[in-house]
Parts: sequence; C-alpha cells; structure tokens
Amino acid sequence: MRLEVKNLSKAFPGVRALDDVSMSVAPGEIRALLGENGAGKSTLGKIVAGVYGRTSGEVLVDGAEIGDLDEKAAGEKGIGIVHQEGSLVPQLSVAENIFAGRQPTTWLGQVDRRRMRDRARELIAQLGVEIDPSRRVADLSPAQMQIVEIAKALSRDLRILILDEPTAALTLTETERLFEVVRKLARDGVSVIYVSHRLSEIFALCHSVTVLKDGRHAGTRQVAQTDTDELIRLMVGREVHLARDVHGRAPGPVVLEAEDVSAPPFVRQASLTVRAGEIVCLAGLIGSGRTEFCETIFGARRKRGGTIRLNGAVLNPTGPWDGQAAGIGMVPEDRKTSGLFLGMDLVNNIAVTVLRKVSNGMNFSQGKAEALAQNFVDELRIATPGVRQIVGNLSGGNQQKVLLAKWLAMEPKLLIVDEPTRGVDVGARSEIYRLLRALAAKGVALVVVSSELPEVLALADRIVVMAEGRTVGELAGGAATEEDVLRLATRYTASVAEVRADPLPVGA
Amino acid sequence: MAPITHVATESRSEARENLLLRMVRRLADSRELTLLILVAALAVVMTIAYPNNFPTGANLRAVLLNLAPVGIMVCGMMLLMIGGSFDLSVGSTLAFAGVWAGVVVGWWGWPAEAGILAGLLVGALAGLVNGLIVTRIGINALIATLGTLTIYRSLTYVTAGTGVTPISDAFKAYGQVADPIFRVQSPFWAMLAVVLIGSFLVARTRFFRQYYFVGGNARAAQLSGIRVDRLILIGFVITGTLAGLAGVLSAARLNSAVVNAGVGIELKVITATVLGGASLKGGEGTILGGILGVLFIALIENAMIINAVGVFWQGLVVGLVLLFAVSLDRFKTTGRA
Repeated sequence: MRLEVKNLSKAFPGVRALDDVSMSVAPGEIRALLGENGAGKSTLGKIVAGVYGRTSGEVLVDGAEIGDLDEKAAGEKGIGIVHQEGSLVPQLSVAENIFAGRQPTTWLGQVDRRRMRDRARELIAQLGVEIDPSRRVADLSPAQMQIVEIAKALSRDLRILILDEPTAALTLTETERLFEVVRKLARDGVSVIYVSHRLSEIFALCHSVTVLKDGRHAGTRQVAQTDTDELIRLMVGREVHLARDVHGRAPGPVVLEAEDVSAPPFVRQASLTVRAGEIVCLAGLIGSGRTEFCETIFGARRKRGGTIRLNGAVLNPTGPWDGQAAGIGMVPEDRKTSGLFLGMDLVNNIAVTVLRKVSNGMNFSQGKAEALAQNFVDELRIATPGVRQIVGNLSGGNQQKVLLAKWLAMEPKLLIVDEPTRGVDVGARSEIYRLLRALAAKGVALVVVSSELPEVLALADRIVVMAEGRTVGELAGGAATEEDVLRLATRYTASVAEVRADPLPVGA
Repeated sequence: MAPITHVATESRSEARENLLLRMVRRLADSRELTLLILVAALAVVMTIAYPNNFPTGANLRAVLLNLAPVGIMVCGMMLLMIGGSFDLSVGSTLAFAGVWAGVVVGWWGWPAEAGILAGLLVGALAGLVNGLIVTRIGINALIATLGTLTIYRSLTYVTAGTGVTPISDAFKAYGQVADPIFRVQSPFWAMLAVVLIGSFLVARTRFFRQYYFVGGNARAAQLSGIRVDRLILIGFVITGTLAGLAGVLSAARLNSAVVNAGVGIELKVITATVLGGASLKGGEGTILGGILGVLFIALIENAMIINAVGVFWQGLVVGLVLLFAVSLDRFKTTGRA
C-alpha cells in the first residue's frame, strides 16, 4: 500500500473533525474522498499533507510512519497537496512559484533564473500542458493555476497527490484537461486523493471512493460497483433529531418575487417566491451561490439581470440601504465580521437599523434605544448582565440573538437569515428555531440559508435548492428527505457543467 | 494587578479591589475625565509655582489664541477618526485656504467676506478631493492624504509664491476683533463655537451617531443599511472646511497669508485627537475629549515655556503623556473582547 491511515482522529477545540478513520490507497490509485460540508474530508487530506497535526492514529507512506511533519517536510517525502484556496503568490512568476523557497542557485547563492525556468517548463510539459514559466501567476486562468500547483507538487519526487476540490473554479473543458493530467500521473504510479462533493466527477475520474460522515468512515466502495444513490445514502445516513413544527401557520400573500436574478459570477439565474408567514430554506452546497443570491436581493451585491418584486413593487437596490428601506432584513452568515459591532454595547447594536425610530427629531435618544434593547433582551431571553454590556463579551448564541434583534427591531416584511445557527450551542439553537417560527407565525416572510440539512428539514415550509448559481429545484418541506435535497444539489452539477462552458452573460 | 476584562464579574470583585485600582479604572473608562483632571492639576500647579507668570490675562489669552487652529481642526479629525479614517493633509489645506483668502482679498481687492468664503470653499474642495480619492478610488486614507498633503502644499506655493502680505484692514478685523470682557480675539471664539456645535452634533444627533458604527465595523454598518462611503466623504469635506476656517482665521489674525502656515500641524492635531480618546481602529472618541487633548497639550507647552525648561523638552513630555493616556486603556472595564 502506498498510503495507510489507521484509526486517525483529529479534534479541533469543540469539534471532533475526524474520528477513528482508517483507509488505504494503492500506488496509481485515484481515491475519492466524499462527504457533506464539514464531514472531515478536507481535514483528512490536510493531515496527510502535514498542514494539520493529528490527535491520534497512524499515517504510513510506503509502510513507514511519516510522523509529525509540516507541509515542507511532507513535500520532501513526496506528498503534495493542491489547496482549495490555492497557495500561489499571484505577483510572482510561474517558475518562482513552483520552486518557492527551493530555487536553484549558483555558487554565490543567487537564484539561477535560467535553470529554474527550464526545469519549470519541463515539469509543466510532463503534465502535457504548455504554460510559459516566466508569466505572472496573476495572469493565468484558474485551470492553469491548478496545473502550476500540481507542477509545484511534482517538482519533488511525487508519491501522493492530494487535490482538495480542485474544480471549484474551472469550466468543463478545463476540468477535462485537469482530469487528463491526473490520470497521467496515476498511470505513472502516483496515488491521488481527490477530495470532492461532486458525484459526477467521482464517477468520471476515480477508481474508488471513501465516504466520510460527521468525521467517521461511512464506507469505501469501488466506483465500478456503486451508484449515486448508494453514495448519497452513505453521505447522509443519520438520524434527524430536530422536530418539525408548522403549527398555526398559513401562508399569506406573496411578499418576495425574484425572477431570473443574475449577479455573475456567483448568481447565474435564480428565482424565488416567498409568501408572508412562510419559511423558505435555500439549500445547496457551499459555493452554490445561496448567500450571494440573498445579498443580491438585499442590495449588498449588484444585480445584473432579472427582476425583484417586494409586495408587488419592483425593487432595484443600489445598496443595502435600499433593501432595508423596502423592508428587507438580512442576518449575515459571519456575525463577527459582517453582523455585529463587537466593541459596542447591546443598545447600539440593536438600534443601528432603526436610528430614526430611536430618535427625537434629529437627536439620538439614549433612553428610547435602551428601552428598545431591553425589550429584545426580555423577549429573546438574551443572557446578559445589562443592555450596556459590550456584545463581544457575550456567548455565541447570545450574540446571534443580538444580531437577530437588530433586524427584528426594524420589523422587516422579509427577513433573510444566513446560517442562523452557525457556532451556536444546542440550547440556543432550538430557541432560535422557536423564534424564527414565531416570526413566520406573525406574518413575516422568511428566507433561511443553511448548509445543515437537518436544520433545513426542520424549518422549511418549502426548500429551494441551488447549484452553480442557479435555483435547480424545489421540494415541499414536509415530505423531503436529506437524500432528495442532496440529489438535487449534486446531481445537477453534471448537466450544469455544460452550461458553465457557455459565454458569460453581458456585464459579467 | 490582574487584568480585568469582563463586566460580569466586576460588581462582585470590585469590593475587594483596592482604592487605587478602582480609581485607575474610573479614569480609564473616561478619557475626558482623565484629561480634565490632568488639565486642572497642571493649571493648579502652574498657578502655585508661577503666580506672576501663569495665571495672568495676557498669558491665558495667548494660550487660548494659539490653540484655536488646532482646536478647530481637531473637531473634524475626531469625526473622521471615529469613522475609522483620518486626514494628514489638514496642515496643507490650512495654508492653501489661507492663501486663497489672501489672494481674493489682497490681490483682487474683493471684499473680506468673499475672501473668507473663498477660503472655506477651498478647504471644502480639498476635503472633497481627499474623500473622493478614499471612497471612490479606494486608496487607503493614510496614503491618499499623504499624497494630497504634498499636493496642496505645492499648489499653495504655485498660487502665491511667497504669500500675500498685507491682505486688507477689513479682512484683518475678522481675525483680530476681541470681545470686550475677556479681550480674547476672534479665532478662539470661532473655535469655541465649532467645538460647542460639533460636540452637540456628534454626541446627540442621529446622523453623526452613524460614524461610530462605521468605525466600529464598516462592513456590518454597510450591511445594516448605513451609507458608509457617503459618510466618510462628508467627514472629509467637514474636516477640509474646518481646516479652511482655521487657515482663514490664521491669515486674518496676522493680516498675512503665509505659504508655510501649518507645516507639521497635522501631527499635532492627530496627537490631540488620539490623546482625546480616538482610536486608529475607529469607533471611539468624543469632540469634548479632542478639545481637552488640545487644551492639555497647549498648557504643557505653555508650562515648559514659563519655567524655561526649554522648548526642546516639549515633544518629550507630550509624547510621554500620549503614551501614558493610551496605555490606561488596558484598565478599561468595557474593553473589546
């Protein structure tokens, strides 16, 4: 076996990212690592490549324990990784990137540019591609950058190559070219670990597939002997703990009508209708354009095409202020960077969306703002010593409630909530669900973006699935299963890949 | 002394803390109070030590008159710094505006009021350009205003060569008229008006309150429906206009528009602003704090002159006080998490 992983575990503070995972990969094998967002597939790849340390377990390469090493040491052992986010320095040339930190030198220690360029050209040629090594990386296409990353890994004696979601930014033809390169490497005896959540790619490229679920090994199959349904079952296969509750809610008139909205490159053609008193969940994989679609509706992202109607009136927001003025609230995904004013107190954080309401004429009224904040502290049961507490000192769940309060204060007609329970403990989570349901019962139209399928199933009256910047299907909340949602979110990528090769709409 | 960071534990543990720590904490929570105490203490010490030199009408009038330009500009700078931005070009704007007022009145022979208006307009335009560079082109405020600092100074030289002297008697009157009771000249009263109005606006009004949000977290402010770029732009225009006002008044007081006016004054303004409670990260500070910072620096300078320690030591003392005041933040009860 080229790579053997035995009983590998990895704990991050508060999270068990990998739990007792074992697998082995033969030389020349292309092994897919498959799993939902947060299943631990990237973590596994990064441990093998020396990016993360491990908590316990063994990693053997050609029978020898690799020990604790950093990325550079792993590279010297022939383990290369191509990161999701990329590790190239855009300002430098292709050759310099390939030999970063290990440039060939002449006797005085200067970089031997000619030799570096020649060797870089050779390496890239080995991959059956042609890229001028003296070009700046910033000028390359995303696919060419991936090739350079692989060449960088190849510049050592490569034994294991880990590709972490390499096709996220590639078009179909570029993906094909990358696959050719990967197949060629495998024929030369390199073991490839291909981390992906795109089922179609796994069937097109890989020999075998290991499925991870919640950090545990869920099963390993030969690709020839499995099918989409089985893989999805392996990816999901867990109990749904969260109870549904649609008690006492009846959808009213249509509040939001978004039709064929586009905001390239992330939103291509997305449509959404939400009624008063209805919770619509936007599901889809990370990078499917859910957040960006919501931002476009709210005005935080410039709309290039399509129409948005709010209560029948056409809305063309030039900025978040327009969305807000029209009665849209948006609770962003990252409460620390884009939601809260961590250094300010509850009063200011809650009053920010309703400065007009807490003012007497042109004067800001501390008294009114405090009363407003106190109301929400009571109503949402925010645990805080007082309304003058600095928000940064609160726990994650209470911060999330403050963030919700900030938007409830403006009494929105449409409330968009992006990942309502990220980084929130279980107790606060059920309270936030209760709150969202109560809002819907009051007649607010709700759009909830969530990567957690159990959450989607527990909350949604309807589920709209997005993939590749498009809304690709709709499911009724009560009847849908996690498998249904995942099938829509992943299967669609196969056929949409062809569409992606189309020229971008005008203005992209 | 153990660092205390959470309010939640404060009430219980406070009883056990010694008096000194409690006092330090109280001071750290209010920069204005700290400065007020420092200013009062310095004034008392100086009055006792130099009863014949310090508490005289002539000396105090000179102090108040000299701090006027910095005091006017600190109001704009404080607003910008609350919003998380700042302006290095105020010194050059001051000279540029003063020189244009001089040109309009002294060379063209227009009425004094036209000169004042021209100076304010030049200041506002200079601020507008700064604001547009920062918000539209997206150049960082430090670099942008470092650029305009030299540009405006250069344009000042281009406009008036060696300056305009004298300007006119009518123009001079605007800078030299004094009130009958305290006999302090107009630049101080103008500063007082700017400070009072600015203090009210920033502390009380809804519009200016938004600057605290912009400085606290610009992205969150944007996503809360606040027009961040517009506010920053307005902040620069206000700062530029105030620098213009300072320039016009300085020119009027001397009856001379000097091309080298205000060289290096931007650092004095920023020092006073930070001393007054502003943070480079934004989101903090008050106009009152800023003006107390100016007052304190002015008193220290005055004290050094009176006790003849020598001007060389001024910078040392001001720098130490600045570092001391900012380090008090460590003891804040309501610090950032």
